[in-house]
Amino acid sequence: MKHDLLVAVTIAPPALVLWAAALAMAAALLLRLAHTPRRGVLASLATLLPWAALAPLAWWVTQPQGTTLARAALAAALAVALLARDREDRRQSEAALKLAWVMGVAFALTWAGESLLALAAGTAVSAEQWPALALQLDTYALWGAALALTLLAGIVLLGGAPFHFWLADVLHGAPAYVAPLVVAALQSAGAALLGSRMAGIAAFPAGHALAQSLLTMAAAIGLVAGAATLATQRRPERRVGTLASLQGALLLCGVVAGRTDTTAIALWGAHAALALTGAGALARFLPVASDAADPPGALFRRHPFSGALGLYALLSLAGAPGTPGMSLWLSAARDLAATRHPGLLLALALAWLVGVAVSVDEARRAFGAPTTLTAPSRAVPGAARAALWCAAAGLLALLLAR
Amino acid sequence: MTRALRMPALRAFTSPLAWGLVAAAAGLTLLAYEGVWRAALGVELLALAFWVWARAATDAREQIARWGWLRRPAMALWLAAALAMALPEAPVTPVAPPAPRAGLATVLEVPQLSRPAMPAERDPLAPLRALQALAVLWAGLELLGALPASRPFADVTGPLPYAGPWLPAVLPAAGFLVLWRQSHAWMNGPLLRELAVALLALAAALAVLRAYSRRTWTASLRWLAVFDSAIAALLVALDVVTPEVSVLLWFAAAGGRLLALATEVRGASGRRGPRVTMLWRLAGWTASASLSWMLLAHVVFGNGRWRIAEYVALAAPVYLAAVLSLRRVIEAPERRAVTRSDPWKWVGGAVAVLVTGVGPAAIALAWAGGMHVSAPEAALGLAPALLALAPRPAAVQTDELPPLLRAPVAAGATARDFALSVFRLVVTLERQLAAAVGALLRGLGAPARDLHTGDAQEYLLFLVGLSVLSLLLPLLR
Repeated sequence: MKHDLLVAVTIAPPALVLWAAALAMAAALLLRLAHTPRRGVLASLATLLPWAALAPLAWWVTQPQGTTLARAALAAALAVALLARDREDRRQSEAALKLAWVMGVAFALTWAGESLLALAAGTAVSAEQWPALALQLDTYALWGAALALTLLAGIVLLGGAPFHFWLADVLHGAPAYVAPLVVAALQSAGAALLGSRMAGIAAFPAGHALAQSLLTMAAAIGLVAGAATLATQRRPERRVGTLASLQGALLLCGVVAGRTDTTAIALWGAHAALALTGAGALARFLPVASDAADPPGALFRRHPFSGALGLYALLSLAGAPGTPGMSLWLSAARDLAATRHPGLLLALALAWLVGVAVSVDEARRAFGAPTTLTAPSRAVPGAARAALWCAAAGLLALLLAR
Repeated sequence: MTRALRMPALRAFTSPLAWGLVAAAAGLTLLAYEGVWRAALGVELLALAFWVWARAATDAREQIARWGWLRRPAMALWLAAALAMALPEAPVTPVAPPAPRAGLATVLEVPQLSRPAMPAERDPLAPLRALQALAVLWAGLELLGALPASRPFADVTGPLPYAGPWLPAVLPAAGFLVLWRQSHAWMNGPLLRELAVALLALAAALAVLRAYSRRTWTASLRWLAVFDSAIAALLVALDVVTPEVSVLLWFAAAGGRLLALATEVRGASGRRGPRVTMLWRLAGWTASASLSWMLLAHVVFGNGRWRIAEYVALAAPVYLAAVLSLRRVIEAPERRAVTRSDPWKWVGGAVAVLVTGVGPAAIALAWAGGMHVSAPEAALGLAPALLALAPRPAAVQTDELPPLLRAPVAAGATARDFALSVFRLVVTLERQLAAAVGALLRGLGAPARDLHTGDAQEYLLFLVGLSVLSLLLPLLR
């Protein structure tokens, strides 16, 4: 009995998510310390607190009660505002600008779609709209266009290709301690948004068929285009961003298969936060891909074990075997197989294959060709290495808990 | 910890050589077990071993690039393993009664594709099951050198300084182990047996041609290992004998080549002295003849018909391999004034005797298991190997040659040049075909890349365009 209670408190999904969130925050704090070591722990913590607000906000978006669209828009607005604060950082400002433009328009169009749908159904309550539309009193053009538009913000937030650019921009432009939080929070919000829109749609078969075909198409494009982008990208930070976009496409597959429960999204978000923290931090130490076999960088020459743990996070993001990320891909594949989506499953297999192959190539490139040159005298900051250990510990805990 | 690693004894265990050895041994052990994920991990470990060794080599950059392709079969097997875990059990379909006699030609005959599937047979996940089987087959064939991209690997040496010439011969062995142990995972796929048989027959022919055209016995042995593994894999693909018999025959033939190659790398100890030379000659011929006899006896009267074309297509390479086994094992000259006693020579001799015995033992095992071969089948199956025992014919005069060959022979061309030309022609054609497909894909992908400039405005325009499209699409229904 006591043992069961202990298991429930420590590794049951809600507790697991909290553990993972705490570890991700600790890793973010360490990365913040590594970024400006003279600030001190308390000052670094104070600068992180606004960013930390994204996590409960994302959790709030996934809750079934209330208007999800407004909450998701609030989360996106907070992310943009926080990114735009540091005006001196050009890359971060550029990422904020792009995110603001795209998210603003996407939310506006989705809001327009919601309004049109309310007009067609005669009610703004989502659960009442589908039975009303099933009476076939409105033209297909009206509710069809409205339904397509309502899905737009969710797809953009998930960052599946062709909307994968914002993820790569954020991971390339924003500091390593904030980018994972922004990405995990916004993608979770996107999945929750789509989940809430699709809730109860089975009562309206024509709408269900249209939404399913649109989401299937979006997921397939996200997986195939994401895999193609991943294979051609050179910068490690952008590769991590594209891997995150594949994770978004994975969530989209979950929506197609009808898996949009809060627990699944929360577990996915916990993994994404940890894997992105480790992979995002590691990417700062990796060389830009080239055909030449370069010698390893400072991290892998002076601290190979820390580098290997960072690689574990990268491999988990790609879903390599032996990582918790693999179980996410496998679970999505099983859901697609159970709901008979062979085309999407094929795209998923292709994307997974490319993701793992690119990640293993990245790992080999990180260790590089051996060199006789002396190792660089300046060590990698201890706080950054501790962050890599922290992320890997969280991922291993997720692996063992599953 | 750091101080401990500075101790020479401990340093040996942490050297790339040791790590690579552990990874390769673990990989090959895993390949001997059933289960696709074990095979995937095994090939991944083998690829890791080659990478670890390549990093430590003096020509590291070249070796890393040379053995990078080993991750392809590993990825193919990971894909198959993942699909096996993700897909539900296939629906049970009525199995067609087995053919009375499945020969090579039976497999190569045009399959019946026109029959519509029964409602109960329709499985929406069938293409993915086929992909899973194809991935396993791909991995096995690529390791065997039966696919264009990896075909020339037996021409080059491996990344270790001492055992470098021996290492590449491990790869066809790994390929055979994948095809043999995971046969349940790929043999039921549609058209895959036919594809495998065609590719393996071509690989065997090219391997023996390349073995013939190479001047050094070490290089020829690597190619003969590919040839024997391909022939053994044909036995598996055609389901000729039980798995135990096919692995014994493979062990005698390809394993014998690996052992011969090991003695060759160790100062040609398998050719030091007339007796040891004779023993290895006999071992190579017996093992190769046992393996090929089983295959040819099965093929020659497949489905009760006389299969002359298929028989000749397989018998010619078998004859050439038997000739190489007998005539290329030449006693190595002793350069020392006083011959040093080498105990390894006797070990090598004992191993040669063992290799000689395994092939016939496997045939006896098959016989005890109920295999039946008629006298004409047995005779025709053994004919190519027996022909190789005949003394070398006298050199043919230029006037007696066909007109097409007179000019090249007069210019000094030999049969070896001909073999080399055929091999190079096929490899060049394959490479050009692969390059054309790659160029086509790049050509199709280039405009998509050029579309993206990275400006913020471009994202906005794209989103607006997509929204307009989503508004218009329902109207166009």
